[in-house]
Formats: sequence, C-alpha cells, structure tokens
Amino acid sequence: MAALTAGSVGLDPTWLLGALTLALLVLAALKLMEARDRGGRRLVALLQLLVCGLQASQLPDLLPSLVQLLAAVLALAGLLQLESGLATPWRLLLRQSLQVLAAALPMALVLFLLVPRLDPFAALPGPSARAVTGLSADLDPGTIATLVEDDSPAARVAFGDDRPPPPERRYWRVLVHERFDGRRWQRGDEEEAGPPEVGGAGSRAAAMGELESAAGRDQVWLAEPSRFTAVPWDGRSGSADPRLRVEPQGELRLLRPAIERRSYRLRPAATALAWQEQPPGPEALSLPAAANPRLLSLGRSWGGLADPAARVAAARAWFQAGEFRYDTRPGALPERDGLDMFLFEQREGFCGHYASAFSALMRAAGVPSRVVSGYLGGTWVVPVGGASFLELRQSDAHAWSEVWLPGQGWQRIDPSVWATAAAEQGPAAATARAGRPQAGSGWRWLQRQWWGLDMAWSRWWLSFDRSRQEALLEGLLGGRSWALGLVILAGMALGLIAALVPWQLRRQRPRRDRVARDLAELLHLLRPLGLEPEPGETLEAFCQRAAGIHPVLAAPLRHLAGCHTQRRFAAADPQGAAARQAADSWRRALHQLKQARRSAIRQVRECVP
Amino acid sequence: MPSAEIRSGGLGWPGRLGRLQRGEALQLRLGNLYILPTAFGVLWLGGALLLQVVGIQTQRNGPLLLSFLMLTLQLLALHLTHFNLQGLELRCGRSEPGFAGEALIYPLLARSRHPRNAIRLRLAGQGLSSRAAQPRRIPAGTSSLELDWRCDQRGLQAPGVLVISSTAPLGLFVCWSRWAPSARQTVYPARQRGPVGLVARAGTDADAVVAGGGREGSEHWHDLRPHRPQDSQARLAWKALAQGRGRLSKVFRDPGGEPPLLTPAAGLEPERALRHLAAEIWQRSRRGEVYGLVLPHLSIPAGQGQRHRDRCLLALAKAPSNGTLVRHG
Repeated sequence: MAALTAGSVGLDPTWLLGALTLALLVLAALKLMEARDRGGRRLVALLQLLVCGLQASQLPDLLPSLVQLLAAVLALAGLLQLESGLATPWRLLLRQSLQVLAAALPMALVLFLLVPRLDPFAALPGPSARAVTGLSADLDPGTIATLVEDDSPAARVAFGDDRPPPPERRYWRVLVHERFDGRRWQRGDEEEAGPPEVGGAGSRAAAMGELESAAGRDQVWLAEPSRFTAVPWDGRSGSADPRLRVEPQGELRLLRPAIERRSYRLRPAATALAWQEQPPGPEALSLPAAANPRLLSLGRSWGGLADPAARVAAARAWFQAGEFRYDTRPGALPERDGLDMFLFEQREGFCGHYASAFSALMRAAGVPSRVVSGYLGGTWVVPVGGASFLELRQSDAHAWSEVWLPGQGWQRIDPSVWATAAAEQGPAAATARAGRPQAGSGWRWLQRQWWGLDMAWSRWWLSFDRSRQEALLEGLLGGRSWALGLVILAGMALGLIAALVPWQLRRQRPRRDRVARDLAELLHLLRPLGLEPEPGETLEAFCQRAAGIHPVLAAPLRHLAGCHTQRRFAAADPQGAAARQAADSWRRALHQLKQARRSAIRQVRECVP
Repeated sequence: MPSAEIRSGGLGWPGRLGRLQRGEALQLRLGNLYILPTAFGVLWLGGALLLQVVGIQTQRNGPLLLSFLMLTLQLLALHLTHFNLQGLELRCGRSEPGFAGEALIYPLLARSRHPRNAIRLRLAGQGLSSRAAQPRRIPAGTSSLELDWRCDQRGLQAPGVLVISSTAPLGLFVCWSRWAPSARQTVYPARQRGPVGLVARAGTDADAVVAGGGREGSEHWHDLRPHRPQDSQARLAWKALAQGRGRLSKVFRDPGGEPPLLTPAAGLEPERALRHLAAEIWQRSRRGEVYGLVLPHLSIPAGQGQRHRDRCLLALAKAPSNGTLVRHG
C-alpha cells in the first residue's frame, strides 16, 4: 500500500481517472484494515493491481513505472501468500511471485505486441489545466523589462542516430502567433478536444507528409506539462501516430491532456509538409494603422520592391546597419508605439522584440508574416547510461518570424541573429551550446543521468504506439494480415509451453538438502583421483579407503567423514547453532582437502610415465 | 456465478459436481479432476478487462501490458492449479475406533512425487472445522493425513464424500475431485450416562438389579498391586506413592463378590440402552473393574483391560439394530 500511495503522487484528483484511482486506493486501504478472511485479502490484492494499472495510465514515466512494478510484484506476492500460508518467508514469496511473473510475461508480451490496438471508444474529458511554466499564448515583449531566466525543464528529444541536429535545424517551434494588435501577437484559440480529421487518411497523409523510410533520424520527444496541447517539433517531421495533428499554421498538436508529460515519436518527412505551403490568410497582413507610424513608414518604403525576398533582404540590411544589440534587460517599452521606440531609439531587446518588430515591418511592406515561439538550441547531454538527448529548458525559449514568399512558402527568419550579442546571450550562443556535450555537475548531473534512462524508457516503451505496432506487424507478416491470429495463437502456445515445462521440471527435480549437496561436491572432488564409492560402502569406509590410497588426504577426509555424520545424524535442528558449527567445520575441512588434493593430483601425474 | 462455497474453496458446487470416485485408493488425474474459476477469478477477469478499456481509452502501454499480464496469469493459473492436484495418490489408512457424536479421525495416506501447496480436504456434510478450513501442504513422498469428522450412527461407518480441492497458486481457479473412501471406521455407540442392566447369576435374583450409572463398587477397593502401564491413572494409589511405597494401583472388588455382567437395561429404547452400556463400559474400564457383557446375540465373559473394553464396545457397535436387546428368560 505504501508503494501505491507513493505512486499516486502526481495524480490529478480533479480528473475522472485520477479520482477513480485515488478512490480505489482508499477502498483498498479500508478493505485491508477490515479484511479478516482470505476472500477479503484477495480482493485487496486485486484492487492494488487495478490501482497500479490506473496509475500507469496517468503516470507512465520511468520512476512511477518502477514504483508501479514494485507494487504489482508485492500484490502478487500477497496473493501467493494467501494460498501458501502466512508462515512462508517473504524472500521465498518474492521469488515465487517473480517466477510467476516471469512465466506469464512472455505470453503477455506476445499479446501486447501483436494484438491490434483499438482507437479510443469515446472522447472523455481530460484533466483540468493548472498553472505550469512555459510559453505564453500572447507575445508582448514590450511589457517585459527583464527577461527572467526560468531554468525549469521544457522538453527532451533523443535522435535515432544519437547525434544532435546541425545548428540551422535547432529551432523547435511550438506556438504560432498570427493576430497582431499593434503591441502584442496573439495565438488563435486552441480547441480542446481533437475533432476528427477532415478528409480522412488522405488529407492526414498530406498534412503529415511522406515519411522517410530510414529510421535513423527518428526523434523521440518527451514534453513537460504545459498550458497547450501544442508540442515542440522541428516543423519538418511527420508521424503516423493518430494522436498527433499538424495544424494549418504549423503547430503540432498532441491530442492528449496538456498537463501530462507527453511523449511522441516523429520521423523526418521526405517532402515538404502541407503547413509550409499553406497560403496565408488576410490576417497574415493585418496591421493596425494607428500604431507605430514610423515602423509603418519604414515598412511601406520597402513595399516598392517587387520581390518579397528583396523586401526581406532590405529589412535584414537595415537591422544589420542599425547597431542593434541583443539584451535580456532592455527595459519596458511604452504602451503606445512601443515598437517604434524599440526600432528607432532603444535598439536593444531580446528575441521577442526582434521577431515582433520584424514581422510588423514585413506586414507593412506587404509580406505576409507571423511570429513563432518555441525553443532554440538546447543542451546536448550524453549520460553515462541511457540515451543521449537534447535537453530544452524554459530558458531556451525563443521567438522568431515566418514570412510567406511566393514559390517558397513559409520561411523562417530569425531577426535576433542580426543583432550583436554578449558572449553567452543570443541565438548564436544557444545553437553553439547544443553542439557540444554538457555534463554539468552535482544535482544537475544526477538529473541528467536519470533523464538519460528516462529517454531510453521513452524511446523503447512510451513511444511504442499503434503506428509502431503496425510497422512491426507489417515487418512480421509482410501484408499477410490473415495470419495474425495464427501467429498470436502460436506465440501463446509457445509462451505457455515455455512457462509450464520449466515449472514442472523444477517441481519434479528432487531437491537435495545442503548436506547431500556438500556430499556430492566431495565425491566430485575425489573422482579425478580415481576414487569412487563402491556399492554399499559407507562414507567412513570410503574415506578410509581413499586415505589408504592417498595418505595426504587422510586428515581432511577423516574430518569430513566425522562432520558429515554429525550434520546428517546428530543435528536435531538443521538451522541450529550446532548445525551451523558443523557446516563451518565441513567448509574448513573441504578447503584443506582441496589443497591436499592438488598435491595428490601432482603425485598421480608424476607416477604416470 | 459460482456459489459462496466455491469462493471459500470449500464444497458448494464441487460437492455436487463431478463423478464420484469410490474405492480404497484414488489417483488424481485428468479424468477425475474438475476445474472452474472462483468468484475471485471472475473478478480478476473483470479487472483485466477494465484495464484493457483504460489502456485503449488512454492509449497507454502500462495498463495494456498489465491487463495482458493478468489475462496470461489467469491462463497460467488454470494449468498450475490443475497441476497442484494432478498425480496425487490418496489411500485409506488404518483407522482407530471412536464414539458416535464425538470427534473422529479418519486417516489417509498421500503419495506425491513433489510437494504440493494449499490442498484442502473436506468431507461432505461435515461442518467446516478450523483444521478442514486450513490448506495443507503435502510433502514429496508418502505422508499421512488426518480427516476430522463426526458420525451420529454406530457401526462400521465410512466418512462419506471427500472433496479434495485446491486454489493454489493464485486463487483464480478451484480444482477438485470427489472421492468416497471405502474403508470403514468402527464407531461405538455414543456415550450416555444412564441405567444398565446386570445379568442375574445362579442363586441370585438379579435381573432385578439395576446399576445406577456405574457407582457400584467404586468406593470399595480391595487391594493394591503394582501399577501397570495399561492401568488408568485414576486407579493410582497417590497416597501410597506419596508415602514412598512406589506406584501401586488400587484393585476394586465388586461388593457382591462376582464380576457383573452388563446387559441393556429393560424398558429402554434399544439404541439408548446401548449408549448407556457404552458409557458404563468406558467408566468401568477407566476404574479398572472387571465386567462382562451379555447381549442377545453374544456374550462376553467378565474381564478387564483395554482389549476387553474394545471387544465389548465393538460388540455394542455391531449389535443388530432391529429387535429387542433385552435378554429374556
């Protein structure tokens, strides 16, 4: 019960499943206090197993899973104890429960891997949102005087080839902000429940793109709880996971409760994804006419250039010539015309200022644009054990712009790189950090080691989903899906045989006691010397005969024969002090015999011509 | 849904289902073993299905794997529970006689190639005593088992239907077999204090003598003799022992001088008269008295000691139940 209680830390009691889990846990505890007979205690064990399963549905990470496994093994040991009696030692019970688990596990794995998975039956309400750190739906850099470095974890990603991506690919997009009111960039409303895909599998495939066949660049993501169902991604990968959906503006949404730690697997797409070629709506050009007049004027001045790419280039040149500085403590901007203040007077700011100002300038120049917030860079961690991964923290949060260029689609522009930055600040420093392994020290080091194991767990366990199962079945059956039932049956039959045959053999094998095993060892030691007991010969007589042949063995053999008689016939209690003393005496004599035996073997070899 | 008795691993369905095996010995094998899920097994299956639904609904691997694990444990338990009984050999042992209405022990010999856990042995129609409720461990090799039972009828009685069951290792299935051991156990009439008759000897008028519940002669000891192991402790001369004269037994002598010949009291219902005789014989034997028994179908001359007592009690156990027990003439 203690393990289950510990495993319940982190459950959300306001969610239906969380409340059900806690209710069952309380019920099991009450029943345990009340239960006097075997039936009641069995029920407690079953309730404990159910609580384990419900916890696993809500807390699938490595540490909670280990606690759940412990609780399940203990519940099973409790069940075994009910049948074999309360006097059974707990070590034996634990061993038996592990044996039972090991016997059942192969069959369970066959079913787990091969039984086709079903879609959820109905959309149930997810857990309620709660305050978590992370990105904001509104980007209003003008109100931020100092960018506070929040070092809490945001996400981790492991790559199939265990190498970090090149610097230009370390932009991890999360939110897209398209609505601009002259000061803040807002994101479209997030629908709570995922509506069914419009257009079926075809449109879904178009949205997610054709996946690369090579699994070498697979990404396994672990995103910390956030306010949004949108999760970090690189904008170029796809997935066959039905829970993942790419929104038209380029957000990747995972249709799971956002307050969970979410894991998902992505694979680079061979072709451009649909969001990249999604033509901009009128909102991508909307700009309040009354705000930031100087910005409007500058932007419109570039509007005369025919090629949108030339307008982007002009803006770039303007920024680079303007001696802009990247600074996380720029001070607050005025409520009115704040971007004008930033562009033409202050010229200091962080990523939000640059993305916001550049996107507004582009809209003024007639180039559809928007702001994207997400993460840049990350820290490449190579733990001692487990998988290497890129660690993203909230301090890696970044904002950049996207502009629509005819024929090229949405293109990422990061105007922050045009500003000069101090050594450890700015996008350049962030991407450089991601390129070299970081080990850290102390608590951070320990945390990263654990996260390495956690990533390996996520890669192999959490990311085994329906799509991977289908890939496995495809590899196994090669399209002969009619054979799946036969394969499952054959697997189960093999699993059952593999479980029962060793079980029966173990039961039928005569279990020799310690004294008999020691005697067998003694006889085994003497056999190479050509000493074998004759039929009906007692140990004492055999030892005397052996001592006659090899006098060097006489003393230890005499001692061993005496010890054996004492252990076998004189010790009333096999666990008593006298028996232990006799066993110690046997060991010492056996050690002497082994030493004497070496010289006896030498003598035998010398005698042989 | 299985009954409550299946849940307790007791009789219930197993007590009625399945072909009854008869004979001196029983070997448990596929043909005479039956297996059904217990109520807990049904709940277990429900729990596994619930976790399966949760796993599908949340698309999580943990509840899915645990659900499959519970299902495969159930499949495994089906075989393991069966294996726990299969191959066990039971044989009737040599039973000691006992009295009707009192606890009897019916001995069995069990033979097994390997140890077996949590085997329950219960006789149909017998109350669930604490020993019967406890699962037993049967070691490898030959071992003896004792069944507690009660019988209200005198005579050579068999204990009835024995149900051998097991729910080990997980309690998900109950496997059982039904056996009626054919070896009979001698059951003496229940001991009930009351009047018994004494047979008149030549020259006395003694059919009229009615012993009043065994008080006769118990106050008047005649002599002392060296104490023998078979003598009752009640007859030990404690005073002599305290005086350092060694262990001596009191020798009683009937006041009349002749050992009494007990017979059923006249006017009583025959079975009741036998119960009185059983109590009287037991008492007299405890006191070390000499007595005989006269029944319509046989007479046992006066004697004493355990063998004499057992012979008399056996005669009472086997006495014909029809007709009168009082000897006339």
